[in-house]
Order: sequence, then C-alpha cells, then structure tokens
Amino acid sequence: MSSEGFYQEFEVFSKRSDTAPLQYQFSLLAPNSELALIMAQENFMRREPVSDIWVVKRSDIRKMNCEEKQSLQRLDNKDYRNTKGYGYLKKKWRHYEQGMLDEKEILSWGEEKKRENG
Amino acid sequence: MSDVIFSNQLTEQEKYGHFLKRIEAGEKIEADDWMPDEYRFTLIKLISMHGISEIMGALPEKEWVPKAPSLKRKLGIMAKVQDEMGHGQLLLRVAEDLMKPLGKTREDIMEDLFSGRLKFHNVFHMEAPTWGDAGLIGWLVDGAAIISQTNMLNASYGPYARALKRICAEEVFHAQHGEAIIMALAEGTNEQRTMVQEAVNRWWEALLMFFGPADASTTGTSKQDITIKYRIRTKTNEELRQDFFSKYIPRVLSLGLTLPDETMHFDKEKEVWVYKQPDWNRFKEIIKNNGPKSKDRLELRKTAYIENQWVREALNMAK
Amino acid sequence: MKMVDVKPMNKDYQSSLISLLYQLADDDFILAYRGSEWLGLAPHIEEDVAFSSISQDTMGHAAMFYQLLSDLGEGDVDDLAHARPAKVRKNAILLEMVNGPGHYLSKPSYDWAFAVVRNYFYVQAKKVRMESLKNSSYDPLANAALKVNMELYYHLLHWKTWFVQLMQAGGEARKRMEDAIHRVWDDFAGVLSLGPLGKELATFKIIESENILKGKWKQSMKPVFDSVNLLMPEEFGTQSGDGRKGVHIKDLEDALLTLREVYQTDPAASW
Repeated sequence: MSSEGFYQEFEVFSKRSDTAPLQYQFSLLAPNSELALIMAQENFMRREPVSDIWVVKRSDIRKMNCEEKQSLQRLDNKDYRNTKGYGYLKKKWRHYEQGMLDEKEILSWGEEKKRENG
Repeated sequence: MSDVIFSNQLTEQEKYGHFLKRIEAGEKIEADDWMPDEYRFTLIKLISMHGISEIMGALPEKEWVPKAPSLKRKLGIMAKVQDEMGHGQLLLRVAEDLMKPLGKTREDIMEDLFSGRLKFHNVFHMEAPTWGDAGLIGWLVDGAAIISQTNMLNASYGPYARALKRICAEEVFHAQHGEAIIMALAEGTNEQRTMVQEAVNRWWEALLMFFGPADASTTGTSKQDITIKYRIRTKTNEELRQDFFSKYIPRVLSLGLTLPDETMHFDKEKEVWVYKQPDWNRFKEIIKNNGPKSKDRLELRKTAYIENQWVREALNMAK
Repeated sequence: MKMVDVKPMNKDYQSSLISLLYQLADDDFILAYRGSEWLGLAPHIEEDVAFSSISQDTMGHAAMFYQLLSDLGEGDVDDLAHARPAKVRKNAILLEMVNGPGHYLSKPSYDWAFAVVRNYFYVQAKKVRMESLKNSSYDPLANAALKVNMELYYHLLHWKTWFVQLMQAGGEARKRMEDAIHRVWDDFAGVLSLGPLGKELATFKIIESENILKGKWKQSMKPVFDSVNLLMPEEFGTQSGDGRKGVHIKDLEDALLTLREVYQTDPAASW
C-alpha cells in the first residue's frame, strides 16, 4: 500500500522565472503525476512567481547514500582546470602591451553583440 | 576529509559516536542517513504531533472562515487556515519519511489520531465561540507557536529545519492577520472590546499550557531533555514561556486589555515573569482527548476522512 | 480609490449592465462560500490546500464584481455581499446548493463528486463569459474580465483533471460522478442563463447572447465528454427554479445566516 497506493511520493521542482534555474521545493503525496502537478503550485508556491513546475516520482530518482556522498570529495590541487592556474598570463601580456582576455571581458562580448545587432 | 566512513562496517557504538559528532559540528541529518532509534522515535513523535496539530488546528478557526465579517476578513482567514493545512502537509511529509523504514504511512498517522495514540496540541481542544477567539488564535496562539517554532529553526534534522523555515515565514503573516482582527476589535465598539477581553480570559490558561510543563515533575514525562540533547531545540519549556510573556504581555496591556491573573508581574531582580500556574492535571486530561472540543473535532476529522474514502480508493493505483 | 467615470448612461443600458454584474458577483460569492465550507475536509491534505486557493481566487473575483456595482452607486461592497436578502440575490441555484448533508462543523457528509462536477462545469461557463466580456462595451467590465480570466486556466485544469480521473476510475466513483452529473444537469440552465435582461445585454453588446455562450460551453466540453464516454444532453434544466429572477431555495437562506452572523451584529462597526 505504501509504495503503490493513493499516496505516492512526488518531488516538486520549479522555476521562478524563465531564466532562473530549476529549484527543489518539497515533496507531496498524490495518486499520480497529473494530480501531483495540479497540487504543486498551491502547496509550495502560493506566494511567489512561478514560470514552470516539474514533478518527479520519488522512486524514479536515484539518490546518493551516505557512503556514496564520500565520492564527492576531491583534493584542492586542480588549478589547471580553472583560470586561477593561468593568472600569470596577465603579467606576460602586459609585457607585450596587450590586455588579458579574462572571464569578465569574454562574457561581455555576447552583450555587446546584441547591442550592435539591436 | 580522509576520514572515509563506510557505516556498514561500523559497530552500532561507532555509528552513534559518528552521529553525535556530526550534530555537534552543526551538520544536518537527512532522512536516509543513519540515526539512533531514540533520535528517530523522538522526531517521529515530535513532528507527527506538530503536523497533526496543524491539521486539527485548522478546525477551531475553520468555524470562522465562512462567518468572517467582511470580504477582506473572509479572504484573510481562508488564506490563514489554508496555511495551517499547508503546514500540516509539510510536517507530515517530514514525519512520513521518518516512519517509512518502520513501514508506516499517512494512513497510519490518521488511524493513530482517531484511536488517541497520536495526540494533538492542547490549544486545539478548546472552544472558539466568538469572532474574538478567531482573532486571538491568530494573534496569541500563533504568537506562541512562533516562539516555539523559531527555537527549532536550526534543528539538527535537516528536513524539519527546512519545513520550519517555510512555516515561520508564513507565521509572520498569521500573526499580523491576528493582530489586524484584534486591533479592529480593540479600537471598536464596547461590544467589540468585550469580545476581545473575553477571548483573552478564555485562552489565557491554554496559552500558559502551550509550552508544556516546566519539568517532568509536573506531569510525569517530558521530552525536552532529549530534544535538547540531540540539538533539535535549544530552550526549555519555561524559557520559551518566559520569552512569550516578554514579547506579548506588554502588547496585550497596551491595548487596554487585562490578564486573568492578578499575581502576574515581572520580578526585576530575578528577571522572570511570575505567574499563577495553570492546572496541569487539567492539561493532562485535555491532551488525552478529554478537552471541551476534543471529541467533536476528532469526529469532524474522522467524518471527512471516511466520507472521502471512495475517492482515495478510486485513484489507488494498487487496486 | 480609482476614479470612476460617472458620465450619464442610458437607463436601460445601466439596468441590464447592473443585472449582469449581480449575477457574476453573486455566483462567485456563493460558490466561494461553499468552497470555504470544504476547507479542512477535502479527500486529502494536498488537495485541501489547492482547493482553498481556488475558493480564495473566486471570492476575490466576487469582490471585483461587487466593486464594479459599488462604482455604479449600488452601495458598499461588504453590504452587497453580506446584507442583501435572498430574494434580491441573482446567483444560479445550483451554486447555492449545500455541499452535501450535514453541517461544516458537524457530520459534514460532503460529496466530492458533486464538488468536482459543479465546479468544473461552472468554471467552464465562467470562462466562456469572461472570454466574451473581454470585448464588452462596458470598459471597466472588460478590464475586470481580462484579469479574472487569467486565474481561470488553473481552475479549469484543476477541476478537469479531477473530473477525468474520477470518470475513468470506473466502479463506485463512476456511479457517484454520474449521479452528480445528473443533479447538475437538472439545474445547469440556471447557470447558463443571463436572466430576464439577456436580450438587452446582447443588444447593448455588454456580453454575447445566451445561445452563443451556451454553444461555446458545449463546444469546449464536448471533447472532454467524448474522452470519458459521456453524452452531451440537448437541454439543461432549471428544476429548482430560476436564481436569476431572485428565486432561491432554503440552502441559500441558511448560508446567509452563517455568512453574515458576525457582520449583522453591527453592520456599521469596523471589523
């Protein structure tokens, strides 16, 4: 009865706006996903804007157990994966009288393009 | 970090030690984590009682939802009672996940409520005969609830702490909703003022009882030591009651209302409120479902549960 | 307070407009009241919370329509909602009917099938009206309809989901649903009616004619009915009487006693 009865467990996720990432809300009991979906907003997001809702049957979620969570740990020796490991380039480029194309600079290019097109 | 722990290789004693270390370090325990039985059973008892009290707590106020005196008040109290049901939903989900390894579900919670095994909060066994009571519940009963719930916002059990965070945010609206009703009555006609004063008189003893007895010597049992040990809460029953007095007594008096206890005063030296103890024997009777409205409210909840049985059966995937 | 355009209106135009506003306001108000009685008693907790939001929305809509009446000089919104006797109320009788035997505080033998069917059929009828009112010749009503309509998508989705699932469940549920549907058919003409001034309302382009709206209702419901093997009746009844003419049953009298219990102790007081 507990796993296949009227009361099945659904996990509820939602997005606050179209550009927001999906966020976990809470769980609810419902007989199926259709009913879970129509209850989700009013149960957990009565007072906030919502632009999308997902409901997922809990039994379809593969969660980590306590031991598996240990696999999430890693050493802090991976600077080579980040810009942090390449910070010395700034000084080098200065030598060639060039600016550093850092994250802030590069991510700003998208915006500029929009402005040119618009 | 290098302390990799595979709990299936540890003895119970080692697991317990590791568990205590986690909560002392301020880590949150999650539903699927190992936890000692005492912790699990304490949480189940605390949270299922908290959850079912929200559901039962909707009933005294529900009486006033269709009767609220204006469109604005009708909407406000509907939203407030809806929140109580919503809080019940959040808390019962937390309790249900804790009960899952024991093979118990929401249906068992309901059955336990009907059979009297699961108790609900003393305040919700009381009568709410006037609109003044509806306001007072929002103002002072919810005020007391805010005091005791905020005390557990940092509970070591993560799902409970997260549910309480949602709940406390909504309680702020409840308190203001209650204040608005009381304020309108207190500033209103003589009849309206009398309505509030009578509600204060009626609810005072129940409000004192709300936080439970100061220690086990009063009623024989008390879970407060265990809940403090496991960092589910930090303050004792008496500390919470004193906090309630400090926050609310000045407000009650400022509206020109009186308290039905002439001995009530603040002892400046000891820095405590001195008050007349409620009848703790009566408290024990009330929570054994022998309060003025215990039977009626249980009957109402049970009727609704039975009348809708066919809906749950129709959509039961297991059939 | 928003400024209201009080330039003189054609007398016949105004009286038909007011008759429609009373129908819209009273329909939503009494059904939201019936919804508020359900609070705490729904088939399960999650549904209780969802249903209450719909009742709140619906009472919010009633408040908007009472406000439009108030702007036309009909009086204070709370008096309109609470003080008026049954004989001047214009809601459809179907919407004032009790949720089931018993009282909301004692032995409420409430019928979820009736709740689902009554609400679903009503919300679809309300949706058809709001769509039509978006083009109303009376701007304040067109604006209100636009807002109200926004919230009806959820109401419809909610009730339709319950309706379809319980209809498809077979067995006892199907039987209970069919019983509820027959009860609703018997008085559903009262919901679709625009009252004695229906013709004028269409002539003044306040709202489309009753027949057009009825056709649209059937058109929206037909695919859903087909999907659950339900036949669309040719005609609907007004077996309990015509609420649009101020005819009502005892259920409304009882509801009014409850909903104005506090208000009437001192209607002049501030609550």
